[in-house]
This record gives sequence, structure tokens and C-alpha cells, in this order.
Amino acid sequence: MVTPRSLTDERVGEIYLSREEIQARVEELGAEIATDYEGLEPILVASLKTAIVFVADLSRALPIVHNLDFIALAPYDGNGGSGRQVRLLKDLSMSINRRHVLLVEDIVDTGMTLNYVAKTLLLREPASLAAVTLLDRPYRRLVEDIPVRYVGFTVPDEFFVGYGFDLDERYRNLPDLRLLEPGD
Amino acid sequence: MAGKVPDFQAYQGQGEPRFANDVELECAKLLDYYGIPWAYEPHTFVLEQDADGRVIEAFTPDFYLPEQNLYLELTVMKQSLVTRKNRKLRKLRERYPDVNAKLFYRRDIERLAQRYRLDLAS
Repeated sequence: MVTPRSLTDERVGEIYLSREEIQARVEELGAEIATDYEGLEPILVASLKTAIVFVADLSRALPIVHNLDFIALAPYDGNGGSGRQVRLLKDLSMSINRRHVLLVEDIVDTGMTLNYVAKTLLLREPASLAAVTLLDRPYRRLVEDIPVRYVGFTVPDEFFVGYGFDLDERYRNLPDLRLLEPGD
Repeated sequence: MAGKVPDFQAYQGQGEPRFANDVELECAKLLDYYGIPWAYEPHTFVLEQDADGRVIEAFTPDFYLPEQNLYLELTVMKQSLVTRKNRKLRKLRERYPDVNAKLFYRRDIERLAQRYRLDLAS
């Protein structure tokens, strides 16, 4: 178990959501999703890397038969325009045609990323497509037409670290969700 | 003035957009990257006219996202200094209740910049 004693970066701040609070909510989400998808054997599709901790917990809290798969998107490098558009770095390993797909997101804010993923996967004609997100910032939405059906927590306009969220690729393993303090 | 304007793919306007600053340019690049159709300053809304019908106040939001039917205004001013823009947006909503408009504050833009590693130095 990782403890705060192992933290050396002063930007890793106070706990915003404890592991117990997260676990309780994930179990509620799992029960809700299980009711909605009973007998449908959904595919949980998580975007690498931040959502891996959430999807691992959600999968274990989901008492119905389901599959897991992953995608990875090319991160924005500041060079949009001139034909440079978001693309999949890693595609699904399973077919989703006529399957029930549940996208598992770490956070939804502008909705641009989820919009791209949903549009891309809908071309493969799944039986249904919806999304569950651990965190949501609905007040920062630019794209409203996105299939968010389940929300873990609606959060303020802060940055977070831990529970899959990184700081320079570190601290994803912290069990609590902590505030990320501004650096110098 | 903003830096070099790339060849946009999701741009819905005519002619090369002339951005007022690098923040607008970076926002356009980000929308383009995610394939969100956008137009730059396509509409001007009259907010106030005098007795003779002359326009005395108008508002031209920076971006329009046609698929979202959303106008987006960016401001790089500090939160405490955006009273004028907030007032304009309020008047826009009063006069055009069907128009969907959103103001992105400096803080919102900084969040975008951090999340997407935008170069906002200007």
C-alpha cells in the first residue's frame, strides 16, 4: 500500500476523495450498471492510461459477465490544424459489432475526446454505446452530444493526482484522489 | 496578432481566420485536432440600438461550433476584470434567449492549456 510518506513532490496535495469514498461509489456504479446490462455481456472499453485503475475496480464491482478491452489515443501535442487530427494509437482487440459497449473514462470535461471515441466506435455498429466516467466537469462542456450515462463524482475545476491520474507519469498508484497543487 | 495560421480541416468559414491572439489560435487548433467543426466570428449580435436604429452596442463571439449550436467567447483577462464581458453575455442571453453561448475564462483556458499542453505564450 502506498502511503503519503512516499510522496516527495509538494504539488501532491490534500486528499479530495478517499479510497473508501471512491470504492463505495464504484460499487454503487457497478450495481447500477449490472441492473441495466444484465444478460447483455457488455464490453467495457477503457482509454489508456488514466482510466486503468478505475476500470480495474469497476470490473471487479460488476457482478455480471462482461469483457474488457482498451484503446489509446494519441495525446495532443500542441500542433493541431494542418491535417493533424486525433487518432487511435492502440485499437480494440475485439470486435464490437452488435455488442453492448460501455466506455470507461477517468474524466469528462469539454467532451471533445469522448465525442471522438464515441463517433469512431459507432462506425463499427455496436448494439449500444454508453459511457461511465469517474469524474465529471459538466460546466466546462463544449460538446454536449456525448453518451455519458453514469457519473461517479461531479468535481470542481481542480486538477487531481492519484487513483490513475498522474503527475509527470508518477503517482498513478496512489489509492486516494488528491488535489494537484500549482507548481512554481 | 496570433502566430502562423495552419491549414485547418474543420474550419467552416470562408477566407483565412485572423485571430486576435495566440489563445484563439490555440483553441482553433485544438478544435481542429478533435474534428469539431468551427467557425471564427461568424455572427455579430446587436445588443443595443438608439432611437434611430443605430447600433450602439454589439457582440461578436470568437467561435461558433455548428454541430453543438454553441457560441464560444474566450477571455484572457483575470476573473475579476471580466465584468464587461459578463455583462455583454448577459445582454446577449436576454435579447437572444435561443442563442447558446459560453464564456471561457482565463482559468478555463489555463486548464485547457495544462491538459492539452498548449503553447499560450504570446
